[in-house]
Amino acid sequence: MTTVLEVNNVSSGYGEVQILWDTSVKLEKGKLTSLVGANGVGKTTLMRTIMGLLKPTKGTVSFHGQDVTRMSAHAKAAHGLILVPEGRQLFTEMTVYENLEMGAFTKRAKENFAANLDRVYEMFPRLKERLDQKSGTMSGGEQQMLAVARGLMAQPDILMIDELSLGLAPFLVLDLFEILKRLKDDGLTMLLVEQNVQMALAVSDYAYVLADGKVELEGPSRELAQNEHVRAAYLGI
Amino acid sequence: MDQFIASLADGLLLGFVYGLAAMGLTLIFGVMDVINLAHGPIIALGMFAVFFLGPPGLGLHPYVALLVVAVLGLIFGAIIYFISVHRILDGPHLSSLLSTFSVNMMIIGVGTAIFTTTPKNMDFSIGGLAFWALNIPFTRLVGAFIAVLVAAALYVFLYRTQQGKAIRAVANNRAASELMGIPSTMTLALSFGIGTMLAAVSGAIIATFFSFSILSGGVYELKSFVIVVLGGLGNPTGALLGGLILGALEGIVPVFLPVSWVPVIEFVLFVLILMYRPNGLFGGGRS
Repeated sequence: MTTVLEVNNVSSGYGEVQILWDTSVKLEKGKLTSLVGANGVGKTTLMRTIMGLLKPTKGTVSFHGQDVTRMSAHAKAAHGLILVPEGRQLFTEMTVYENLEMGAFTKRAKENFAANLDRVYEMFPRLKERLDQKSGTMSGGEQQMLAVARGLMAQPDILMIDELSLGLAPFLVLDLFEILKRLKDDGLTMLLVEQNVQMALAVSDYAYVLADGKVELEGPSRELAQNEHVRAAYLGI
Repeated sequence: MDQFIASLADGLLLGFVYGLAAMGLTLIFGVMDVINLAHGPIIALGMFAVFFLGPPGLGLHPYVALLVVAVLGLIFGAIIYFISVHRILDGPHLSSLLSTFSVNMMIIGVGTAIFTTTPKNMDFSIGGLAFWALNIPFTRLVGAFIAVLVAAALYVFLYRTQQGKAIRAVANNRAASELMGIPSTMTLALSFGIGTMLAAVSGAIIATFFSFSILSGGVYELKSFVIVVLGGLGNPTGALLGGLILGALEGIVPVFLPVSWVPVIEFVLFVLILMYRPNGLFGGGRS
């Protein structure tokens, strides 16, 4: 197994407020890793730190063995590290098609534009019907699809998704998890932050449980799903 | 009646140029929420640039000089962005107002020292068009034509090119555009450059038919504000239409009232629009 992304003893937060304390996480090539835990434990902060939207006060982030701790977010995106952010963050004033085009802004993404577009249309036929619609006027589920589709247009080497299922109807959640499985089968490396712990553990290969800004537990998802503490604290069993 | 039509035509042609200047102001606001108080002096610098590049200076044809002014405006705008706008972008509105106002004061200060405030005149004429009640200098026609051309080019750029769409993406959601690999800082600098370019070019066009000094920008800056409010803040297409309305008013009002009433009527309109149509006459843009 090859490690494609490594977060080493990172501390990070917002100004005076430190959220993450000495957190270490690894992503293996072709694996779906999930990050679970209660609200406010630092899952989003970790993703934002990996992406470079937040600068860590301590520790390093390396991507393909290269130290990228201080690299800007847009440069990381150009290298294939892509985040589908919480709350979708679409270009709401632009059309669906323009959102997909902006997803493919980087050089590596432009080279594969046509192929990625076909794949995205095939995965999300509903988006194809709405190419000229302003993205902000679509339903929540469609917007989430577009957020994932826009991320895929970026030709990701690693795709990080923050809160895939938040606020979506159950049948849509199932659809989106099916897409995740497909992407995993295609060999895409992914990091998933998900409040639905049961779903996250069911779909992922490996998982980290975060508590109070630290990694509380980690292991293969199947094992964590059987863990007494996880079952009691996060699965309510 | 003849006089009315002549004045209206005159005003409308000027209106295109006013609209172009206002597009620069509204583009910068739409993209980065900054009201550029250096807008007026930049218009004035555009006037001086075409003056010194043109017949009175280097001897370039004024319309060729216009192209050079555009390039200089773009570069100058990007420099202003990095020096005085970038670092206060996430601050409160007052910071960007003060910051661009200081750029305004610096340009006027240095400009007054170098150029004095004695009005300059290009003495540029390429004949005119006379038929029926109209007698229109070609400089006005060409000026309006260039303004429309630049406005159309801006529209095509923003809606048809990848770089232009990136500007709209950054305007819409800066953090998300960064996540998609769009270098947002460079994109903002480019937007400020384009906004500055539009102001400088409109200044240069105005200089081909009116006399000017380093202080002339103030008048046109005020016009730009009225136009931008008419057209909806952040809406470039609205700005061009707003320019036409303002130009028409400037043409028509003096036919019926002493010319000093023009600004009074303009600003009454300004206040009324702010009170009853804060999104502009055409409803677009942001409130």
